[in-house]
Amino acid sequence: MTDRPVSEAELQAYVDGRLPGERGEAVVAWLADRPDEAARMHAYRAQRDALRSALAPAAAEPVPPELDLRLRTRPQRAWHRRAIAVAGMAALFIAGGGSGWALRGWGGPPNVGTAALAREAAASYAVYAGDRERPVELAASDQRQLDDWFSQRLSRPVKAPDLHAAGLQLIGGRLVATDHGPAGLYLYRDIAGNRLALYIRPMEIEGNDRMKNREEGSVRGWTWADDGLGFGVFGTAPGDRLHDTANMVRTQFRAT
Amino acid sequence: MIATVQPMVPALRRYARALLRDRDDADDLVQDVLERATVSWAQRRKAGSVRAWLFAILHNLAMDRLRRRARRGVDDPIEAVPEALLASPPRQEDGLEHRDIMAMLGQLPDEQCSVLLLVGVEDLSYAEAASILDIPQGTVMSRLSRGRERLRRLMDEGADAPARPSLRIVS
Repeated sequence: MTDRPVSEAELQAYVDGRLPGERGEAVVAWLADRPDEAARMHAYRAQRDALRSALAPAAAEPVPPELDLRLRTRPQRAWHRRAIAVAGMAALFIAGGGSGWALRGWGGPPNVGTAALAREAAASYAVYAGDRERPVELAASDQRQLDDWFSQRLSRPVKAPDLHAAGLQLIGGRLVATDHGPAGLYLYRDIAGNRLALYIRPMEIEGNDRMKNREEGSVRGWTWADDGLGFGVFGTAPGDRLHDTANMVRTQFRAT
Repeated sequence: MIATVQPMVPALRRYARALLRDRDDADDLVQDVLERATVSWAQRRKAGSVRAWLFAILHNLAMDRLRRRARRGVDDPIEAVPEALLASPPRQEDGLEHRDIMAMLGQLPDEQCSVLLLVGVEDLSYAEAASILDIPQGTVMSRLSRGRERLRRLMDEGADAPARPSLRIVS
């Protein structure tokens, strides 16, 4: 079909060497009769090659450690700004890379995984839920600010779930320090004043884990992990109510 | 994820540097891209190519930075361009040519510049470039055509006046 007129788009594709055979031949034949156009195509190829070679050194440079995903658990240049994020990243990498599953079978030392998260969450509940004076740093009236703060510190979009359907109202939240970096603690209360803690942090190990029932002293709850983020719902409410609430939280987080 | 993304880091650095024209800025940008990619890895559209997805993240973040720069009224770090852009000019004359082509590229509107880089240097398909820039493929083709023609004219002028003292870099 050499009689079909040659379009400008086809000429561009010719420059890029992306014209399928038949049309490629048609363009070559077309250009043979038009030296000016042929010169233009030649100039385009020359500039493309010049750009490639001008930029080649940028891609040939050794990749600095902070851009090497395999090294990103180590402290970095801008660690003061990024270290927190990196802790979260590491969790995802391990979970996503498959080695998380290997570690699962091995069980890990006692201070990792959702078992560790359960202890932290229960301890946080014990310390803060019982504090009548100042259980939270940011109140529910500043929820947007609280969510943004957690999202930034946990390197993940985090939003306090709406638990009104479970008869729970958000009190507010605070950041909690752990061996594994920062964790976010949301506190809720029911109409009787009973408190419930939702505890969230990135998971280095067990980035994905099914929902498990936990009992830490007098505090009960449920833990699970999705996509590198670990969750704990703890309180003193009866077990099945806690379980329903945990399911509600998980559903809302999975939907975002 | 690491196995898929890590091999693309050199190309991401190259595109970032071509757009921002500053090595540290560009690497900082790529670091942001890797963080975002890590966090939203699970949410990416499985249908599209990972490379196009990463370049789209990078492109949008780069445009944000360029807009912020423009708002702050900060000029491009012109003096820093050649050294920052070219890691190590292999030879004197090569380096000069490279600076020329990059300086001319800098005179193109961002939208044409991006297409020339994505298609010509990064070798992304027209469809991928269209998805990265969020424009129809026909627009990719017309920007490619306009950008190449403009660059050709600039190069012709440059050849006529090779010792032009000051090459303006406009982003």
